[in-house]
Amino acid sequence: MKPEDALRAIAAARGDAICVPTMTTAPAWRAIAPEDLSVTCVGFMGGASALGLGLALARPERRVIVFDGDGSLLMQLGSLATIAGARPRNLAHLVFKNGVYHTSGSQEIPGGLIVDFVTMAKGAGYREAYAVRDLGELQRCLPSILGEEGPLLVELWTTLAEQTPMTAPRGAPFHAQVEGLRQALLKPHL
Amino acid sequence: MPESIPASLIVETLRDTFREARAALAAEVTEPPRHDHLGWVLSVPDTHQRTVLAALDKEPAIRVLTLATEDEANAVAAGLWIGGEPCVLMIQHAGLYASVNTLRGVAIDGQVPIFYMIGLLSRETDREPRESRHSMVRYCEPLLDTFGVPHARLEGPDDLRLIGQYFRLSRERRGPAGVLVGMPTA
Repeated sequence: MKPEDALRAIAAARGDAICVPTMTTAPAWRAIAPEDLSVTCVGFMGGASALGLGLALARPERRVIVFDGDGSLLMQLGSLATIAGARPRNLAHLVFKNGVYHTSGSQEIPGGLIVDFVTMAKGAGYREAYAVRDLGELQRCLPSILGEEGPLLVELWTTLAEQTPMTAPRGAPFHAQVEGLRQALLKPHL
Repeated sequence: MPESIPASLIVETLRDTFREARAALAAEVTEPPRHDHLGWVLSVPDTHQRTVLAALDKEPAIRVLTLATEDEANAVAAGLWIGGEPCVLMIQHAGLYASVNTLRGVAIDGQVPIFYMIGLLSRETDREPRESRHSMVRYCEPLLDTFGVPHARLEGPDDLRLIGQYFRLSRERRGPAGVLVGMPTA
């Protein structure tokens, strides 16, 4: 499954969910959903899941979807336990799994594709966790990803993205994204 | 001579600080979040402030979220800020050292106001922290200075006003600010 196809499917179905991309999902998401309720985890690799948790706790009326990476999640693996402990019912944690650090030259992550985030999430206490290996399966699962009570982790088996943060044009800096999303949530009619 | 501060006074000060933050937000925005609680304490448990954490267990107006790392605490704080929720990070100096890159990325480059209460575990009463025999005490204020993080020390109950003052400062400058808890809380 191409990550861009997965993101397009999610974009078409997500409604007003807040999205938190990071690393190689960031350039594609900017192109697919440019003017959007999103904030990219950039400048603190590994923080996407915790950033999403903060959003989910602050705005429980909204769905929050994190587009994490496998290498990124390994940098703050304890966040699985933190998220499970906080029990955000509105958080869907998608892990785009390609087995490598794509941005830095596709070096294999520790453990490569053997690392099983589904088992880890279940062991940490996520309400639900499962793997999705192709686009058709993702499309079938989207209603539950977007509506099922969280915290939910979905391991998405994907190919490498067409762009990385190093090859794509730069997006808005993190501080501008923070301010933009804050304004959109707190002053939606201004 | 530095003194311990009773936990109940710190909790009361946090309540006041969160109330003020919510009032300020309500005056500024059209759709503030609606919650029953006043605010959040994001904690990677600090031995120095353990009596405050114990007191917070009995304080329904403040939600305590325990995190696995201080890196997570900074990132969660950013999500809460975007969503309009006030929070305080309650950590230890060692946790500050562990999370410097996230502090830089989130609070400094990301311009997210984050207020820290940092316990100076092992701080000696007979000398300034910068002259401590313990490196984890000695390097704390210089590290904050290096990163341009405004900070003050809570050396007794008379300094409680610094909590609100530095919390507000973090918001005014859109960045990090903190207080160092000089002695173990009582």
